[in-house]
Amino acid sequence: MVLVSAVRDYINRMLQDISGMKVLILDSHTVSIVSVAYSQSELLQKEVFLVELVDSISKSNESMSHLKAVFFLRPTSENIQHLRRQLASPRFGEYHLFFSNLLKDTQIHILADSDEQEVVQQVQEFYADFVAIDTYHFTLNVPSNHIYMLPAVVDPSNLQHFCDRVVDGIAAIFLALKRRPIIRYQRTSDIAKRIAQETAKLMYQQESGLFDFRRTEISPLLLVVDRRDDPVTPLLNQWTYQAMVHELIGIQDNKVDLRNIGKLPQDQQEVVLSSEQDAFFKANMYENFGDIGMNIKQLVDEFQQIAKSNQNIQTIEDMAKFVDNYPEYRKMQGNVSKHVTLVTEMSKIVEERKLMLVSQTEQDLACNGGQVTAFEAVTNLLNNERISDIDRLRLVMLYALRYEKESPVQLMQLFNKLASQSPKYKPGLVQFLLKQAGVDKRTGDLYGNRDLLNIARNMARGLKGIENVYTQHQPLLFQTMESISKGRLKDVDYPFVGNHFQQGRPQEVVIFIVGGTTYEESRSVALQNASNSGIRFILGGSVVLNSKRFLKDLEEAQRIARSSPAVV
Amino acid sequence: MATRNRTVIYRKHRDAVKSVRAPLSSSASGSGGPVIEMASLLNSNRSSYAPLSTEDPGPSSRDAFTVGLPPAWVDDSEEVAANIQRARVKMAELTKAHAKALMPSFGDGKEDQRLIEALTLEITDILRRSGKRLQKLSSSGSAEDSNVRKNVQRSLATDLQNLSMDLRRKQSTYLKRLQKQKEGPEGVDLEMNFSGNKSRLEDDEFDDMSLNEHQMHKLKKSEQFTVEREREINQVMQSVNELAQIMKDLSVLVIDQGTIVDRIDYNIQTVAVSVEEGLKQLQKAERTQKKGGMVRCATVLVIMCFVLLVLLILKEILL
Repeated sequence: MVLVSAVRDYINRMLQDISGMKVLILDSHTVSIVSVAYSQSELLQKEVFLVELVDSISKSNESMSHLKAVFFLRPTSENIQHLRRQLASPRFGEYHLFFSNLLKDTQIHILADSDEQEVVQQVQEFYADFVAIDTYHFTLNVPSNHIYMLPAVVDPSNLQHFCDRVVDGIAAIFLALKRRPIIRYQRTSDIAKRIAQETAKLMYQQESGLFDFRRTEISPLLLVVDRRDDPVTPLLNQWTYQAMVHELIGIQDNKVDLRNIGKLPQDQQEVVLSSEQDAFFKANMYENFGDIGMNIKQLVDEFQQIAKSNQNIQTIEDMAKFVDNYPEYRKMQGNVSKHVTLVTEMSKIVEERKLMLVSQTEQDLACNGGQVTAFEAVTNLLNNERISDIDRLRLVMLYALRYEKESPVQLMQLFNKLASQSPKYKPGLVQFLLKQAGVDKRTGDLYGNRDLLNIARNMARGLKGIENVYTQHQPLLFQTMESISKGRLKDVDYPFVGNHFQQGRPQEVVIFIVGGTTYEESRSVALQNASNSGIRFILGGSVVLNSKRFLKDLEEAQRIARSSPAVV
Repeated sequence: MATRNRTVIYRKHRDAVKSVRAPLSSSASGSGGPVIEMASLLNSNRSSYAPLSTEDPGPSSRDAFTVGLPPAWVDDSEEVAANIQRARVKMAELTKAHAKALMPSFGDGKEDQRLIEALTLEITDILRRSGKRLQKLSSSGSAEDSNVRKNVQRSLATDLQNLSMDLRRKQSTYLKRLQKQKEGPEGVDLEMNFSGNKSRLEDDEFDDMSLNEHQMHKLKKSEQFTVEREREINQVMQSVNELAQIMKDLSVLVIDQGTIVDRIDYNIQTVAVSVEEGLKQLQKAERTQKKGGMVRCATVLVIMCFVLLVLLILKEILL
């Protein structure tokens, strides 16, 4: 509840001191921030009877002066312009302005200038500037995420915007938690270094008064890493519930859009998958597909029993009991049909795309050795006509990432085959990926074959046998978290910013992955937190990736890199 | 969680700007006159709070911004809210009355019953009236205003529904306890008596006349109790049914928690979508209306055909 409750507290504080009928005005980013943490019915309880976007507010001239306006916006220049227009011709009785991050003095002056009617009652900074999708997982929904893959010279202003947004998000996290961290970053990534340094400057120099919290014995740790250090995790197909839904269908701000999927009843076209509100989902979000099937069957059986007893109404007492339990019954019915719809749809997709076959090879490529067998397997799948283009692309990428240096001839063969079979394939994409995230660029030991200890561990795992061949893969993040827990994160790979230093193990760690996180990694974090090791990990990223999104970012970056003269 | 208040800096700057603006405005007040008059003319055309508002806060007023009067439905909604509050108070009284009635007492308990009946009726009445009034909240004005009205309806409907469920739960627990009490001391006796009675009547009808009389007396008494108990149960059941009806009506208005309808971003999208849908419906209606003219023409022609056919037949018959 850590992140979600921080946002909820902020919103509660915004609304509690203002009495009477209110209208809440948000912008396109704060809508996501508020929607994942607060529900419409809770807003109604706080007497907020209208929610609007700031750009549509100015379109109408109607005066609603019996309402008090509560604005919750990001302090961007567009929002300040919208506010200026609003304040010049106010529509509401009172104006209470809340900003999700630091305001510049010039912005305050602009607002004060246009407030001729003196309708503004308060201007506050409430640092809820991140989307708290799970208890320990947040995202920033940064548009144009792909820009992190390009060198700074290509598009410096957009890259600066990206960095500013990320630094704002990270600062908001620490302000909400009231901590000031020691910062470390991944050595081989320029953008991670840049973000780490800008965050340090903000926290320790520019706004050091604001961040000057009560010091705990051991400062928390902020670790900024790059997505390209672990390009394998976003490419893999997933088999645990939450990750699988995102991979096959797509989750945005804890909502799943099922409108493209055949004919569904009105209330099932868009559904909410939130661990806060759905007990079944909370219990099953990290379970694998087989177990979910069984648990859903159990849920359906329970529900059918209740439904049958509801049909069997004979005495008036039965009727009274039915009416008593009707709201619960209806809620359960909605929940059951939601999960059944999702699982049915995913089973269909798995069957169509032959994902069981593909995923077996993917997991082998990610976890086990044997170049020759891998090459054979990938070639066979490429020749199989039933496999979709995106799956073929992923297989070749996974093979290339692992066996980049071994047998380049065979690698070229695979590239050619891919290009010839997939008409939509943008040529050179795999090579672009290797340039971005190849073995020379990576710091971490992705395949466990650099470190003697890791090799031994892999061999031990192979001997022990694998429980489930589809969920063998552990993201690199898991190893990073283990190293941090043992206090053995190497300085040479993950240096400290400036003259920070930390002795011993931190108790709170925020890991930020520039380029995006995946639900497999958030699962890893949640399981690590549940194991009571004494350290609390929080994971965040610029977006939440699935393989489609990751490939799109790669394609966009490749397109820009090609058309830019600055890139070699 | 950390926050930072920028109101002080803001006010300082606003006052500074005002003092700079004030000397400028005093020189421009001469030309301000006719501007204000024009503005108030414009305002009178676009007000949506027609009968109630006598003063219209124009955007050109330089003084403190006066709060305009809210639309008419807000008064209705406030009345409903006040009713709900009253119902809550009565519910508290009802709880006390229930507790008192269930306690063993020396008296008849009829007064308690009457009080409970009266309170229950009152509360049910309040809830039903509020429910009906809620559904009838009139809508006029813009899309935004109707959104606000819809949300106010939803919030009050949720409160009403919670109250109704609360009342029903209280009633059913009271009922159960009542049944247990009445059955307890008498139930065992009745059973034994009835079984004993039957066997004796079968064997020897005219033996033990005295025992029969005693049993007849007990029978009458238990009949009385049964009748009374039935009446009480019926009453409670009746109010249970009424409340069920209210709940059914309200459930249309209430949001299911945890579903997509309870998401703020979904509601913002739906507003945009429903405005578009409204436009499409209007266009369709326009088209249908045009077509309606055609349909009417065709109908008239068909009727005329029939009439002429009938006349023709009549002509043949009469000739």
